[in-house]
Amino acid sequence: MVRAKKEYQVYVPSIQEGLPEGREIVLTVKDLTPGRRKYDNKVVKAIVSRSADSLPDSDVLRVRSWMGVLYPDPWAIRIIEEVGELIPGVPHGETLLRQKG
Amino acid sequence: MPFKDLRQFIETLKTTGDCLEVNREVDWDQEIGAIGRRVCERSGPALLFNRIKDYPEGFRIFSGSLCTYRRVAIALDLPADAAVREIFAEYDRRNQHPVKPVVVKDGPCKENILLGDDADLHQLPAPLVHSGDGGRYIGTWSLTVCKDPDSDWTNWGMYRFMVYNRRHITGQPRLNSQLGMILHQKYIPKKKPMPMALVIGAEPITSLVASASYRKGVSEADYAGALRQQPVELVKCETSDLLVPATAEIVIEGEVLPDQVGEEGPFGEFPGYRTEGINMGVTCRIKAITYRNSPILSMIALGVPPDANSVATPIASSLAVRDHLRRHGAPVLHAYSPPHGVLHTIFISVKPGGRDTANKILDGLTLRRSDWSKVIMVDEDVDVFDIGQVLHAFSVKCHPIRGIYAREVEPGKAHCLTPCYSPEERRDLRGAIVLFDCTWPPEWSSFRDIPPKNSFDGIYSEEIKKKVLENWAEYGLKV
Repeated sequence: MVRAKKEYQVYVPSIQEGLPEGREIVLTVKDLTPGRRKYDNKVVKAIVSRSADSLPDSDVLRVRSWMGVLYPDPWAIRIIEEVGELIPGVPHGETLLRQKG
Repeated sequence: MPFKDLRQFIETLKTTGDCLEVNREVDWDQEIGAIGRRVCERSGPALLFNRIKDYPEGFRIFSGSLCTYRRVAIALDLPADAAVREIFAEYDRRNQHPVKPVVVKDGPCKENILLGDDADLHQLPAPLVHSGDGGRYIGTWSLTVCKDPDSDWTNWGMYRFMVYNRRHITGQPRLNSQLGMILHQKYIPKKKPMPMALVIGAEPITSLVASASYRKGVSEADYAGALRQQPVELVKCETSDLLVPATAEIVIEGEVLPDQVGEEGPFGEFPGYRTEGINMGVTCRIKAITYRNSPILSMIALGVPPDANSVATPIASSLAVRDHLRRHGAPVLHAYSPPHGVLHTIFISVKPGGRDTANKILDGLTLRRSDWSKVIMVDEDVDVFDIGQVLHAFSVKCHPIRGIYAREVEPGKAHCLTPCYSPEERRDLRGAIVLFDCTWPPEWSSFRDIPPKNSFDGIYSEEIKKKVLENWAEYGLKV
């Protein structure tokens, strides 16, 4: 029986920067399964690809730009494992880094 | 009489025709946000959604609390048709007399208490307000409570927060906000979590005060009492010593983590664009949720004006600008940011005008943060509350070369949400401010240089004006 594909969503500053294909990466994805928990965040280790055909046993990955504009063509994602709820970091870490220069 | 809670305000709005109940089932996933947004753009009523998909009966959403000056007037217990100038004057008058809150043992916000693992954010109908937002925003028209551990100062702020997962919310209080300052000065250096409470569905004036810019060290609860002309009743949180409005609909208690973050955003924001992208947000782990029976989640479908943020929030901001500039020696008479200025453009009347005054205003507005990017400075005979008068002054009195003063704003001080800034400028908080001087130069002679104003008040003798006004009704005129 074919497993029903799940859908996830990811936001990236750019495709090149945020979605290197064919190798394990860590990213935060939002679960698009309908219901109350839709849009819940997970930090996962995964492999992504523009083509579902080249990534068997994958789910659908909707990709949005940094400001939330949806790219027209969905990607594919195979989640290897969930690595945690959050990631280490300081609030406003990105702003503080830029200020340090 | 002040409203004791949001419900009483809603009941009043229903009787005045300013609130509509929607009894058809609606989806929290974009549908409620879209309805609320469109109604704002048409200056429609506030909305109480009584049936939310995926949620049991009784869980409700209220959108559009203070999106019109009418509703602001009602919230302040003024006549619904009070002029904008009168609303500002009354707000200003009451704001001079802070009223300390009172602490009560219990309150309606404690009718239901969920602690620890039972506190699941998915039990609340947080909306996905705009398509493409980064999450379900549970805190849009809400107030966030935190406390300076070394003093009596309790800070209220209005910061957006989204549901990250069942037990975390992430938000964007800015680094240079008062919550940001308390967090980074008092908790992060010690690697300690900061207690925080997100209060949803407080009485309307209490929520409004959270969006106001009071100085560091000032507790907003005192000024909520001032505007209500009655103390706010506060009750202690279940899991911390923070005090929250006792009649609030929902209180989410937690602590901001000093060393872990989760994604937050993007979110369609108050300038009318979704200018800021995804960030690692201020992350709060939930410890308790308390709420009233049949709770009402207050929200704002932020976007192009008008909405509550562009109508109501500028009242306090404009008055704060006026007072701040006066303290810094600028001869300011009145200040007003109209809804379509979305807290980026402000009209300021002065006496005298000219270059020195312009520079004092720019110095004052770039001292700490520089959220304003456009200032239109006018003479005392221009009513800043009349956009037509301001536009007329701008059109004919602002010299296209000599009358424009522009300055860059140093990194860290500009607004991260201003759409005309490049993405790099927004990330670095770099920007600029421009002042359009629509005043007569102080050195101009009223006989030789300043043209007489071609208006009824400006160009006719006192004798002829008196004659015309005395005979107005006899001419058959009612205007």
